Amino acid sequence: MTPKGNKAAGFKSASVALAVVAVCGFGLLQASHALAQGMQRAAPKADANPAASKPAPLSLDGSAASTPWKRYSGWPKRDESRFNTLAKLATPPAPTTPRKITTPLTGDAANGAKLVADRTRGGSCLACHVLGQAGGANLPGNVGPDLSEIGNAGLSDERLFNYVYDARVYNPKTVMPPWGSHGLFNDKEIGDIVAFLKTLKSPAKFATKVDDPNKRPDPVETRDNLDEMVNPGMWAIERAQKLFATKTASGSSCVACHSDPKTAFKSWAAHMPAWEPRLGKVLGVEEFITRHAKATTGADWLMESNENIDMAIYLRNLANGEPIKVDVAQGPAKAAYERGKALADRKLGQLNFSCNDCHSPDRAALHWIRGQWLGRQKGQLDHFPTWRTSLNQVWDIRRRFQWCQVNIRADELSPDAKEYGDLELYLAAENAGQKLSVPGIRH
Amino acid sequence: MAVQTRLRVPKEAKKGEVIEIKTLATHPMETGFRKGPDGKTIPRKILNSFSCTFNGKTIIDCTLEPAIAANPYLEFTAKVEESGTFKFTWTDDDGTVTTAEQAITVT
Amino acid sequence: MRQMTRREALTVAIGAGTAAIVLYGSDARATPDEAKEAIAKFTGGKTAEAGKITIDLPEIAENGNTVPLSVVVDSPMEANDYVSDIFVVGEGNPRPGVIHAKLTPASGKAKVSTRIRLASTQNIICIAKTSTGKLYTNQKLVKVTIGGCGG
Repeated sequence: MTPKGNKAAGFKSASVALAVVAVCGFGLLQASHALAQGMQRAAPKADANPAASKPAPLSLDGSAASTPWKRYSGWPKRDESRFNTLAKLATPPAPTTPRKITTPLTGDAANGAKLVADRTRGGSCLACHVLGQAGGANLPGNVGPDLSEIGNAGLSDERLFNYVYDARVYNPKTVMPPWGSHGLFNDKEIGDIVAFLKTLKSPAKFATKVDDPNKRPDPVETRDNLDEMVNPGMWAIERAQKLFATKTASGSSCVACHSDPKTAFKSWAAHMPAWEPRLGKVLGVEEFITRHAKATTGADWLMESNENIDMAIYLRNLANGEPIKVDVAQGPAKAAYERGKALADRKLGQLNFSCNDCHSPDRAALHWIRGQWLGRQKGQLDHFPTWRTSLNQVWDIRRRFQWCQVNIRADELSPDAKEYGDLELYLAAENAGQKLSVPGIRH
Repeated sequence: MAVQTRLRVPKEAKKGEVIEIKTLATHPMETGFRKGPDGKTIPRKILNSFSCTFNGKTIIDCTLEPAIAANPYLEFTAKVEESGTFKFTWTDDDGTVTTAEQAITVT
Repeated sequence: MRQMTRREALTVAIGAGTAAIVLYGSDARATPDEAKEAIAKFTGGKTAEAGKITIDLPEIAENGNTVPLSVVVDSPMEANDYVSDIFVVGEGNPRPGVIHAKLTPASGKAKVSTRIRLASTQNIICIAKTSTGKLYTNQKLVKVTIGGCGG
């Protein structure tokens, strides 16, 4: 789709590009008129500086991710549509009174000991509690209190049963999942768990110091994430630089407008995500790449594609060292921030967790869930996209959101969901001042 | 899917100095213990050996097993007495040999 | 080699929390006995004495997919006394072998660092052989962390 007579595609020379601007003339006026048609080549500028120029051309049609959204193969296949997602409310209301149960409860304590350590049941009790020798006292968590002596606490069977069944009847602010009312354990199983809890009468004996979550040293990330011998995520930069200069079928490439990306994007990514009025949503870097590439060179770099991730790493890496600073001061951006903040407090999924339940320092953050440390909001965004050592692949922040949801047994959204934009904007605001260091390297 | 290699070797050193060498080769190191989505075992395919010579003399010679992580990283040292060239060799289970070289000036 | 495509990468690890086990894909684990067998083969049945070897491994590995390992053996690395072999096995992987590095006095230091896979919490055992016929051993327990939810 090369305008006649325009030989600027692929040129890096500023003077030639300037001449072409003169030839084209209409520049962005024509580009913005044709935006509705999707594919439109922007007028080439010598070095389109995102800070100085008019709004960047964007493809406004359709989804920026594959549609309809299908969960990644290899992820758990559960359908959790009967519980809240970030896009819709569905979770049944909490009970207000404890259930009356037949006491004394007779349960199988041995089975209870297995259930509290069973990771396939939504992480298990050991994710948050020390429970004597259950699970071999192997790296239990400490989000909740140590229950190793709960058998001595003089609690009634009814109380123990209901606390597991749905703790909200005793503490409406609890972060404990409603194991019974949300169908994670049935009544018989809860009875077994209660029977096991009643056997817990002495402190746990840990095999090693690190098994005790209260003695485990806080993890510190010491790897040099910008060393390509340490972080395979860094190899994306070379690939992205090649992609940046590669001509698409339209005959154009990124360098046609951005001859000096190192200068042009020195701080751009630090101010993302941002409210995009033409789409009525917040755009993160990854979605921006999809829509901007489509509208300029015609490249088809859907979110979560290899090209998109590589380019996102590259563009954010160019702003490394810059403090995150997003605009949430007024108008639609502020409204989006407020929405994101509220979404971070929405209880999601079968396990009934909100983002802030795990990532707010006044709740579970800075504690251990089993052998994993829960970070607070601040520090969670500056290293994305990040190489994941457990998977040998890079994840952007949207995929990270999706996996969190699926793991708390909530249905995830499409990567370009507007709710994710709001959430990312809120997270970016919580990370204001944090310096970008991309790509990260994490578990 | 050719193996790509990365090296970190000092360009210069003093005679008798012990220098640090870092090497990396891109390779999935398929263990031979995994089952694919069809339930069949994915055959083993790893880089099973790595060696480094300096002016033809062995510095290190490694047998690698499936327990070596993907994109094998190897870091070791060499005592250099003269200028010359390091040669690095990786061998795949299928016989493919990948090599890389790096010169050093020793004064 | 290009980084695996997203599709390929997804088949590599089914569920982050079980990635290490899936990467090995086998429920069969080597036993400490198999590791002993591999060691005996390397040492020719001779006993190795404890000492001289420093093993650098994390106390808790964030996962079993890539765990940094560094082995340093105290040795003059001279022509008449140097470490000729560093041999590493694990007691809890499908097969015990990890790496066998042959060195020479030109190595300068008896040191090798790499990144390894662990199917589960296990002991990593290292044997060093010297040119004078001595054998040394050391070992370290590495815990592979357990994920809080799915990983």
